[in-house]
Amino acid sequence: MKNWQGFNQGIWQDKIDVRDFIQKNYIPYEGDDSFLAGATEKTNAVWQRCTELLAEENKKGGVLDVDTEIVSTTISHKPGYIDQANEVIVGLQTDAPLRRGVIVNGGLRMAEQACEAYGYKLNPKIEKIYSKYVKTHNEVVFSLYTPEMRRARSLGLLTGLPDAYGRGRIIGDYRRIALYGVDYLIDVKKADKEQIFGDPMIEETIRSRDELAQQIQALQDLKTMAASYGFDISAPAKDTREAVQWIYFGYLASIKEQNGAAMSIGRGSTFLDIYIMRDTEAGLLTEEGAQEIIDQFVIKLRLARMLRTPEYNELFAGDPLWVTESVGGMGDDGRSLVTKSSFRMLHTLYNLGPAPEPNLTVLWSERLPENFKKFAARISVKTSAIQYENDEVMRPVYGDDYGITCCVSAMKLGKMMQFFGARANLAKSLLLAINGGKDEKTNKQLAPVMELPQGEYLDYDDVRTKYSEVLAWLAGLYVNTMNAIHYSHDRHAYEAGQMALHDSQIERVMAFGVAGLSVAVDSLSAIKYAKVRAVRNEAGVATDFVVEGDFPKFGNNDPRVDSLAKEITHEFITELRKHPAYRGAKHTLSVLTITSNVMYGQKTGATPDGRPSGQPLAPGANPMHGRDTNGALAAMKSIANISYDDCRDGISFTFSIVPGALGKNEMVQVNNLTAMLDGYSNCKAHHINVNVFDRELLVAAMKEPEKYPQLTVRVSGYAVNFVKLSHDHQLEVLNRTFHEVV
Amino acid sequence: MKGWYHSKETFGTVDGPGIRYVLFLSGCGLGCAFCHNPDTWGQGQKQITAEDVLRDLKEYRSFYEPSGGGLTISGGEPLLQPDFVAEVFRLCRAEGIHTVLDTAGYCKPEALLKVLPYTDHVLFALKAAGNQLHQRLTLASTNEEILRNLRYIASRKPVTLRYVVIPGYTDDEAEINSLIRLLSSLDCVDLQVDVLGYHVLGVYKWAELGMPYTLEGVPAASKADVLRVKEMLKQAGIKLAYE
Repeated sequence: MKNWQGFNQGIWQDKIDVRDFIQKNYIPYEGDDSFLAGATEKTNAVWQRCTELLAEENKKGGVLDVDTEIVSTTISHKPGYIDQANEVIVGLQTDAPLRRGVIVNGGLRMAEQACEAYGYKLNPKIEKIYSKYVKTHNEVVFSLYTPEMRRARSLGLLTGLPDAYGRGRIIGDYRRIALYGVDYLIDVKKADKEQIFGDPMIEETIRSRDELAQQIQALQDLKTMAASYGFDISAPAKDTREAVQWIYFGYLASIKEQNGAAMSIGRGSTFLDIYIMRDTEAGLLTEEGAQEIIDQFVIKLRLARMLRTPEYNELFAGDPLWVTESVGGMGDDGRSLVTKSSFRMLHTLYNLGPAPEPNLTVLWSERLPENFKKFAARISVKTSAIQYENDEVMRPVYGDDYGITCCVSAMKLGKMMQFFGARANLAKSLLLAINGGKDEKTNKQLAPVMELPQGEYLDYDDVRTKYSEVLAWLAGLYVNTMNAIHYSHDRHAYEAGQMALHDSQIERVMAFGVAGLSVAVDSLSAIKYAKVRAVRNEAGVATDFVVEGDFPKFGNNDPRVDSLAKEITHEFITELRKHPAYRGAKHTLSVLTITSNVMYGQKTGATPDGRPSGQPLAPGANPMHGRDTNGALAAMKSIANISYDDCRDGISFTFSIVPGALGKNEMVQVNNLTAMLDGYSNCKAHHINVNVFDRELLVAAMKEPEKYPQLTVRVSGYAVNFVKLSHDHQLEVLNRTFHEVV
Repeated sequence: MKGWYHSKETFGTVDGPGIRYVLFLSGCGLGCAFCHNPDTWGQGQKQITAEDVLRDLKEYRSFYEPSGGGLTISGGEPLLQPDFVAEVFRLCRAEGIHTVLDTAGYCKPEALLKVLPYTDHVLFALKAAGNQLHQRLTLASTNEEILRNLRYIASRKPVTLRYVVIPGYTDDEAEINSLIRLLSSLDCVDLQVDVLGYHVLGVYKWAELGMPYTLEGVPAASKADVLRVKEMLKQAGIKLAYE
């Protein structure tokens, strides 16, 4: 194969095996960042045009334009360009930049309402087709829901469920397109259909045949779309630019087909480094040229958009897409997977300025090259735009070719898919246990009827037993709800394009989640170590709590309360596993809220830890604001104590610090942050968002947002443009614990 | 042995090299007018044993060691509890943990004799070199004893001298010159000066404690104020920390 000339041979040539290709060909890089090149004129020209468009988009309330006439699919739109003469990587979701397409198979109502919210009207013909002739995912799920499921959903016990929008979180292995070309992928799918799913014709086989047929069609469409931009992607990419372009086309097709919550891109930099090395050695590419291709790829990822409703934005604030790109990590053989292109990818934050997307995620290990660690830490100090996840806890589970989807969720690339399941509110669940199963906000019976705890003060053993009953009931309800959702999604909004870039036989996981962990455990701690009296209304529901005495709080490395966090997450995943998941999926659990902690808090009454009704919960696995009084490391140890084995879908910690509290000058700050990340990794913690800025900066940006268009803030598992957050979300970020020195 | 303490900070990055466990002891009689932690002056109610300090610190060792950090005992005035500090530092020595003492030097010389043998580095917070200004800013009747302690420490241990630039007080030329004279006269192992800007972030604590704040209305030091003092010290050949 001519396009593979210069690559080392391996089994990757005989079957689809991107990892083998990487392992046989990549060269680890231990050096520093001095080789890097700045942005080229072409890049600057394209990015300049984008900043104008982005400013316009902000001015128009967040949406620049909507195409209400055509339903978005891989092949729905004519080619679109930003500045064609200067674009090195091409392709847009519609025929113009930031013009959002309408994707309806997830739900018609969402599409209609989103159009209306921004002053547009969906073409009535589209509305007619999807209400009369074609069922959407949203419509079907609601016909499947039981009354109990609806109640749990509307009262805020289960929230953010992917029942009105695309579930997302599936990462197509887009690298396969570059390495093999689409024709080979089609051939393999055709063979799989007959060899793996030819017999016996039972439900699962028949369904798989149907899905494979859809995948093959999606690959055909992908070729058609690429051809409209003048590229033939039936064969493998012959150089770096083609490799990036092929990958991007695959991703582009996915986001034209699916309005998925999180649409992550995978782990491309080290794969691409192999192409860059080959082209550089052949004298075909300079460092400027290589950086230009990466910069322009990233520009395209920064422009990816979905049309969503303002309500959706309340849950997942800041218009995120989680175009998560994982960088770094170690190989199974002990070599670091850091290459020059890992630097190039992060360097885009300098060349183009900070931005929330792509969601750059460094897979951290103490064994990564020191130069790379320092380089990443310096970028954190300067831009707050990257997050870190512990390669040392993920690699043993997922191997060395996994990627992060969404925020903290690791997936074996091309071999695993997940059924995303948002999260259950643990704080509210505890209130159910205290209130005889009644919702504390409406007095409605939500969980099964239970006796109220007796006595003047809440008794720990009594409440704890009742909490277990609630969690056991909730787990069953949660699994059943998820099964209904994903059955429907597979039927009515199947991700054929992304699944075509997976092995035909795949592992499935069902990703459950929890919110309000720190509030729940602090409340239990208050009941256990202080005296808590419930103030009940006439319905017997506790509307407030009087706490007498002090109690240990989560976030201080105090085993008395930290053990409760571990105990409850373990208990909940164990309960979930008792209920079979759809299509044999394995149950996983995350402690991650995204920004839904604000909305969850609104739906949760006063809690026994002294938190007033309506106050936001802490994000992810964070301690409640202001309760971690022993410094950042104590908080980290508390979080590290939660077992990754119980929470394989990720444990998110958001850390904010003022620059001065990280050290007295930049060099010291970088050294300290590097050491902190090493220590965090060593104590088997999983994820950390690092924000380095002064609170005053945020206050200034709230006052004059137009002056801070690129100010990037990390929230639970992703990053946002601070100025795009709602006032409530801005305040929540501002009120978090900032580690500072006085 | 038990010590009275105010609080602990597991991620200290400004009180000595690297990432440090900072134990803030309670109790201080110097009464500095610009103190940002007046809540540490009283003895308080919290006690901790030396062994427990070590046990707690070791929880975070994997963070401290790669950063070149360790333990800092601050306050309050740690040298008011010399036996306790000496005991904690002695245990650290045995474990190979780097120790920093953060003191204003307002103590009896015997306290130094107890603590210094187990101390790796001293942060010495000198309020004013001139006696008159020192009297205005603190409750000490003279800074003679403090300066004597500084001489003693500097001749035996590496010292980072901390000097707070309070506009209109500690930054006039005469004051800086007496500081320079003092520092130049020291016979020292290794001394560098960390020039800090006066800030008002701790003023609210005075109000909370119901104590009048005598420096009310004095502005926080600007970057330029700090830079000017640094420049003067540099001109005089004084080594500065964090250049």
